[in-house]
Amino acid sequence: VRAGASAFLCLVAAAVVADAREVTITLPEVPAVLRASPMPGYAIAERECTICHSPDYINFQPPGMDQAQWTGEANKMHAAFGAPITDDDIKLIGAYLAVTYGSAKLTDPGIVPLATAASGASQGAQGGGEGSGSGSAAGAGPSVQALLANHACLGCHAVDHKVVGPSFNDVAARFRSHPGAVHELSARIRSGGTGTWGTVPMPPMQDLTQAQADSLAQYVLAAPGGAGK
Amino acid sequence: MRSSRSDVDRQRRGVIRGVAGLALAASPLGSLAASTSDDGIARVGGSRPLIRYPGKRELLLVTSRPPHLETPFGVFNDGPITPNDAFYVRYHLANIPTSVDPDTYRLKVSGAVKSPLSLSLQDLKAMATTEVVAVNQCSGNSRGFSSPRVFGAQLGNGSMGCARWTGVPLQAVLAKAGVAAGAHTVTFNGLDKPVLPATPDFIKSLDIDHALSPEPLLAWGMNGEDLPFLNGYPLKLIVPGWFGTYWVKHLSEIEVLDHAFDGHDAWFMTTAYRLPDNDCSCVDPGTTPDRMRPISTLPTRSFITSLAAGAAVPAGRAIVLKGIAFDAGSGIRTIAVSIDGGKNWSEALLGKDFGRYAFREWSLPVTFAARGAAMLMVRATSNAGETQPMTATWNPGGYRRHVVESVPVTVT
Repeated sequence: VRAGASAFLCLVAAAVVADAREVTITLPEVPAVLRASPMPGYAIAERECTICHSPDYINFQPPGMDQAQWTGEANKMHAAFGAPITDDDIKLIGAYLAVTYGSAKLTDPGIVPLATAASGASQGAQGGGEGSGSGSAAGAGPSVQALLANHACLGCHAVDHKVVGPSFNDVAARFRSHPGAVHELSARIRSGGTGTWGTVPMPPMQDLTQAQADSLAQYVLAAPGGAGK
Repeated sequence: MRSSRSDVDRQRRGVIRGVAGLALAASPLGSLAASTSDDGIARVGGSRPLIRYPGKRELLLVTSRPPHLETPFGVFNDGPITPNDAFYVRYHLANIPTSVDPDTYRLKVSGAVKSPLSLSLQDLKAMATTEVVAVNQCSGNSRGFSSPRVFGAQLGNGSMGCARWTGVPLQAVLAKAGVAAGAHTVTFNGLDKPVLPATPDFIKSLDIDHALSPEPLLAWGMNGEDLPFLNGYPLKLIVPGWFGTYWVKHLSEIEVLDHAFDGHDAWFMTTAYRLPDNDCSCVDPGTTPDRMRPISTLPTRSFITSLAAGAAVPAGRAIVLKGIAFDAGSGIRTIAVSIDGGKNWSEALLGKDFGRYAFREWSLPVTFAARGAAMLMVRATSNAGETQPMTATWNPGGYRRHVVESVPVTVT
C-alpha cells in the first residue's frame, strides 16, 4: 500500500506553484536503486554515494569500465567532493562497481580480496564503538558525535533547521510521543527511506549496530523539538 | 492587512497545487519511466526514460538528484528557438533551491567595489533592459560519443538550446557598484549548495575584462516569460558564445576579486571543466594532457535535424534536408552538406538570422539517385573562418565535441 501511494504521490508532486509571493517546485520522486550484490562494497555504496547523488549517476555510465577506472571514480568522490569514505571503502566500492557495472569479474585477482564481507576492512573505521546506549537521552556523548561524523549525518541534518533533511527538532517533535519512539526511529535510521519528510531519500545506514542506531535515535529525540510542524 | 493577504495567497497556492496535482495524476502512470529514446549511446543501465519535471515537458532523464535532463533531439527541428519547457536542465549539487520568493530575493554584489550592492528583482528591472538570442550548450554535450569513452554524464546531442534572454548587462550592474582599480576576476554563485560542507560550492568566474564587456547579461526573462525554475529562476548569468557551465543559475552573489579565483570553492574553475591547453584543446585519445585551461567559447558546430540516424528516405524524389548551426558569436557564413559520405558537397540555404549568437537554421533540397545506404554530413564555417574537423578530437573530460556530424540513412 505504501509503495503504491508514493508512486501516485510522485506524479502529484511534479507541479509548479506560482503566485505573486513565491515560486515553489516539488521535485518528482524517481525510483532508482544500486544493483544488489553480495560484495561488501554494495552496502558502503548504498550508504555513502546516495548522500549526494541518485544511483542513476552510476547506472548510466559507459559499459566496460575496469576496476582501476571505477576505483578512480570512487577516489574522486572522496578527494574532490569530500565523500566521507576511507581508503578501504574506496577499494571496496571500486571493486563492487567494476564487477556490477563494469568489465571486472569476481574471479579477477584484483577483485578476489575485495569480494567477500570477511575482507571488508571498513567496519573498523566506524569509531564510536558499542554505542553508549545507556538511555541518558542527554547531549551527544563522544561516541554519538563519532557516529554523526562517520555517517555524514550533519551533511543533511541540523538540530534546529532543515538542511536537506528535516531538523532534529522536527524529528523529535514528530516521534517523541510515539510509544517505542527510540526503536521506531532507530529502525528508520537503519533502513533509510523517503516520503515522511519529502521526496529526497535518506540513505540506509545498515552497517549501524542496533545499539549504535538506538544511541543516535536517543540523541535525536532529545533535541528541543518545540517548533515541530 | 498584509498577513491576511498572505493567508489568502497560501490558500490559493493550496488550490493551485491541488488542481495541478489532479491534472497530472490523470496522466498515465507509465509516462514516468516507461518510454525511452534511443540515441545509439551504450549505457550500463540501457536507454534513459523520459520524465516530467516541474515546468518541463517530458525530457530524457540523465540524473534525478541533482536534476539533470536532456532535450530530445527532435525538438531542434521545430525551429531555432528552443521552448522553455523543452530546454535542458543541469545541476551539479543536490542541495538545490525549491522555493524562491521574488519579493525577498536579492542579488549581492561585493568585493573590490566602491559600493557593495544588494539588488532586488525590482531594482534590476528598473535598469535599462536588453535582449540577446543566444545558444546555451553544455560543455559535455555529446560526451557519450567520446571514443574511448570517459566517465561523466553520457549525454547525447540534446544538452543545448537557444533562447531569447531578457535582462540587464552585467557591466551596468558592475558600474553601479563601481569596480575598484586592480580588479582581476569576477565570481558568480547561485542558490544551489553542496550537500556536504566538504564538497566545493558551484562558483564560476570570468576575467574582469570579459565581465565588463557588453556581452554578459543578468537575465530574468527567457522567450518572453520568467525563467523556468529549473533553468535558474529568478536570475541567470548569460554568457553569449561561452559554454553553459558559466551560465550560473539562481544567481545570488557576484564578487569582484583583486586576484585570481582559487581555493576550495574554486574547484569548478581550477580542476573541473578544463581542456588541454593547446590549439586543438585535445590530446591523443586516452592520454593525459600536460597543461589544462578552463573551457571557454563554443566551437563552430552544425547538425541535421530533419532526419535521424537510420531513417528511410525515398530514391529519385527531392526532399528538403534541414538543420541548425552556431558558433561563438561571429555568426555562420556557410553550411556545406554531403549526401554521399563526404565526396561531394553542396551549399545550403541559410534561414532567418536571429543574431550572431543564435541557432542559424539551414535547408537544402536533395535527391538520392540510387537505393541503398547513404551517409549524410554537414559542415559549418563561421564568419571568423572556423570550420569543423572531419574526425573527432578527444580530451579527458569529453568536452567540446564539434566533429562534422554524420547521419546514416537508407534510400528505399
